[in-house]
Amino acid sequence: MLKHKNLTLILLAFLVFVVWPFSVSAQEKIIKIGAMYPMTGRPGLYGLDSVDAAEMAIEEINSKGGVAGYKFEFTNTDSKAKPDYSVMVAKRYITQDKVHFLFGVVSSAVGLAVTEVSKQYKKIFIGTDHASTQLTTDKLQPYYFRVSNNTFQSMAAGALYLKELKQTKPWETIAYIGPDYAYGHDQWDELKYNLDRFGVKYKAVGEYWPKIFAPDYTAFITSIGNDKPDILVAGFWGGDTVAFIKQALPYGLLTKTLYFHPDAGGNYELMSAMGSDLPKGLVLSARHHNNWPDTELNREYVKKFFQKTGRYPTYAAEGAYAGIYAIAEAVKKVGNPDDTEALVKAFEGMKIKLPEDPDGFTSYIDPKSHQIVQDQAIGVTVPNDKFPPAKLMLGEWKVYKAEELLPPKEYIDKLQKK
Amino acid sequence: MKNHAKIKEVVFWALFFVIFGLIPLLEKSDYHLILANHILIWGMFAMAFNMLFGVTGMLSFGQALYYGLGAYSVGLMVKNFGDIWFLPAIGLGLLSATLVSILIGLLVIRVSGVYFTVLTLAFGQLVWQITFKWYHFTGGDDGIQSIIPPGILANHTVYYFFTLLLVAVSIWVLRRLVNSPMGLVLRCIRQNPDRVRFLGRRVRRNQLRIYVISSFFAALAGGLMAGVDNSIHPDMFYWTTSGEVILMAVIGGIGQFFGPFIGAALIIIIQDVVGARTEYWSLIIGLIMMVMVLILPKGLVGEVQLLRGRFRPDAKNRGENGTTFSA
Amino acid sequence: MDPSFIIMQFLSGLMMATLLFLVASGLTLIFGVGNVFNFAHGSFYMIGAYLAYQTVSAWHANFWISVLVAALGAGVLGMIAESVFLRRIYGRAEEGGFQILLTYSFILVIDDLVKLIWGAEYKSLARPTGFRGAIEIGGLTIPSYNLAIIGIGLVVVVMAWLILSRTRTGRIARAAALDREMLGSMGVNVPLTMTLVFGIATAMGGFAGALAAPLRSVVPGAGIEVIIDSLIVVVIGGMGNFWGAWLGALILGEVNSFAVATVPDWASLFNYLVMVLTLIFKPEGLFASRKIRKV
Repeated sequence: MLKHKNLTLILLAFLVFVVWPFSVSAQEKIIKIGAMYPMTGRPGLYGLDSVDAAEMAIEEINSKGGVAGYKFEFTNTDSKAKPDYSVMVAKRYITQDKVHFLFGVVSSAVGLAVTEVSKQYKKIFIGTDHASTQLTTDKLQPYYFRVSNNTFQSMAAGALYLKELKQTKPWETIAYIGPDYAYGHDQWDELKYNLDRFGVKYKAVGEYWPKIFAPDYTAFITSIGNDKPDILVAGFWGGDTVAFIKQALPYGLLTKTLYFHPDAGGNYELMSAMGSDLPKGLVLSARHHNNWPDTELNREYVKKFFQKTGRYPTYAAEGAYAGIYAIAEAVKKVGNPDDTEALVKAFEGMKIKLPEDPDGFTSYIDPKSHQIVQDQAIGVTVPNDKFPPAKLMLGEWKVYKAEELLPPKEYIDKLQKK
Repeated sequence: MKNHAKIKEVVFWALFFVIFGLIPLLEKSDYHLILANHILIWGMFAMAFNMLFGVTGMLSFGQALYYGLGAYSVGLMVKNFGDIWFLPAIGLGLLSATLVSILIGLLVIRVSGVYFTVLTLAFGQLVWQITFKWYHFTGGDDGIQSIIPPGILANHTVYYFFTLLLVAVSIWVLRRLVNSPMGLVLRCIRQNPDRVRFLGRRVRRNQLRIYVISSFFAALAGGLMAGVDNSIHPDMFYWTTSGEVILMAVIGGIGQFFGPFIGAALIIIIQDVVGARTEYWSLIIGLIMMVMVLILPKGLVGEVQLLRGRFRPDAKNRGENGTTFSA
Repeated sequence: MDPSFIIMQFLSGLMMATLLFLVASGLTLIFGVGNVFNFAHGSFYMIGAYLAYQTVSAWHANFWISVLVAALGAGVLGMIAESVFLRRIYGRAEEGGFQILLTYSFILVIDDLVKLIWGAEYKSLARPTGFRGAIEIGGLTIPSYNLAIIGIGLVVVVMAWLILSRTRTGRIARAAALDREMLGSMGVNVPLTMTLVFGIATAMGGFAGALAAPLRSVVPGAGIEVIIDSLIVVVIGGMGNFWGAWLGALILGEVNSFAVATVPDWASLFNYLVMVLTLIFKPEGLFASRKIRKV
């Protein structure tokens, strides 16, 4: 009986697997980007759009000869939106594949886990699409930079919008519904904080916390209907927004109450999914809009993305696009992608013109918080069929200046104490 | 027979220590060290799980509960009291897993079969939802970061050997257990609980014991994992984690003591290799699972043994040894 | 709470319960008759939603026809899954574990196939004509599509009762749940019966998915979200028991609905709480369909 022989074989095969060196030799001068976007399930669309947009930016830069003699090389590993798996992938990128930059991620939980790895290994992590304010406040570490807005900025813009609204359409009561996890809770806390900060008087009549990805909102809708708020603030993202609006429509909730969704509500996915079923008059915003600002850069960006993929981008795409251009800018300044400390200096305070910048404004990375500072526009749904399959898009824009949206110092202190 | 089993055992341990002892020396990159560390921890977790499933015939779909408990004991203690509490926190995790598993165990062993499976799933999901929800205490879905082991353990290689030692001891303990009289009773429970009862052995008490023991080692795995990943997350409580450990055990072979360990190694390597190369990982993992279940139901180790049995003239139980637990 | 609000919340709960029941009934049917725990039942729900979307948006069919197409498609796929894959593992030692793994592998494969065919974008389906608005009764606004779903749910319950208790098919199904060998020796083609039952159950899943599509977003991964809730329903009711699933869905729907209205902060805990409480006092569920072999 030679049972151990097979066992030996298995263990040997396994040894070969583990120790197998699958690193690629790099002769060319290359900037390696290791991305961790989810490609499956609910956040899959965000990952797909981000990867397409990053690749588009890279094609643009590489076709012009790259930067400082370097060409971009981009790999994405499906993070499955799982933090523990993403930590493994990040460590593989750093120690095995020798990437120069960690890149991406859609979920804040994954972002928080990866920023920890980035800190330990002193490897720059460019955040493109996760909104938790913590990453650029109390959990900030020197090697993290974010090139899309956080929830605090969206909610500050939202509070300003509600303040102005008082003059044209007096309102008093407000209710909130958002997914029952950090992203949903942060938005409501930050909105209340900003309303207080701007001296807006309000009465909160209801707070509702459905599970993320909950299929059924009927009970929430009838309960909100009973509260009769003037304003209903929503903090969903993705398919949850679609499901909530579809279920709320026949109850007439969205006509009696102003639906207000300033962080992710104005994402193109909602317009494209609902087409002509989307009601007019919803007040929404997102981190990028396909029809605002009406600048050459934005029109070009949206057009190119459509030509490449056959669909219009969601906001996630613009974050990834911006991330690649920010890296290119930093490498250009430093001259190579290896000097991490110099690159950090180059990112701090970097000015970069992005598709979502209106004329006369250039996005910049705040050197203290490593957070990109951008203008934000909030719009109302109006008929517009230039971006099919959407039948309505946002319009009647109100634009808020970037500087007004940053978290004040005492807010950051408060977070740090927690 | 007995001699061969001895040889097999010696060979396993020799290979185990040679392979896992050499990895830090052969590999300059941190990544393979971490990968090997994951294999060790998941391997132990899967073997402990198999004490329930393969040995005693109790399919728990809720072992993630104890895995998460171990991890969160460490995470919360380190976060609130500092990294010096890392080791006591692992102990605390083991203690709380023991207590919780006695309480829950008393409730769940009242039923068997698929009811047991679903009941364990229910408790696991309840604890997951509480962890997810109790934002101010547990950090909610954001989890807890910056869990760095104290002092010399902060070094990855040192921590690796620390895990290697604990995992080796755990596997040894489990091995002793399987070969003990209690192990025999457990295997009998799996085949015919009524007969065990007629023989005067207490079925429930032994089931509870093995449930507690299995949960104890699951918590150890969770606590150790917190030190490898440096961040923890409520996903550790989620049913997919329990599912993963079942998958590892079945792929390696639930009828074999070392099977689940091999299964864990295989799954982690497949995930790593497939994940790095394609976005259609779930399609590929799904197809691999399908093939394993349909064509190689005895798991990798079990099938290999079976195959050899076919060519052996003196084979006593050709083709049958997959259904009994061969220790 | 004023009475009209209580009625509204009750109807909301009923609506939620009906959709839960439609999904869970298939799950419990397979378990009761075939003794198979189909973890991938949610994936057939998702396939139903996508088939309905495909029929309406690409082939411009009537919505109600698309519901039938969805049920039929999911049913055929279910029969293929049963006869090609699941049948091979019946009667194995540790069958339970293999069932979970095999059906879990279906989830993984189907999720990616759906993404390959329809892409990752969210799809949406409009409510059918005639059911877009709401009905006003005594100051209450009730969407007519919601009423239609509640009605369909009742019809399904009554029809299932008639089929199970009054027809030969029903008798065979009930007999299969009790003793398959005996049924076979009486000349019934048991494997065929199993395939058909599996097909009917997955067709129910697809039917529910299609009916829910106008209310929810159609996305890859939508199956995972319904399977856990349906599992809870089936467990509360007693696995394999049709009436138990109906009662379980009703309890879950109403508990959820009133939890949202009274303790919204903790509403998301209630599903698991109800399940754990039920199981502590009645480990086999409210209606156990068979005697549990006590060990």
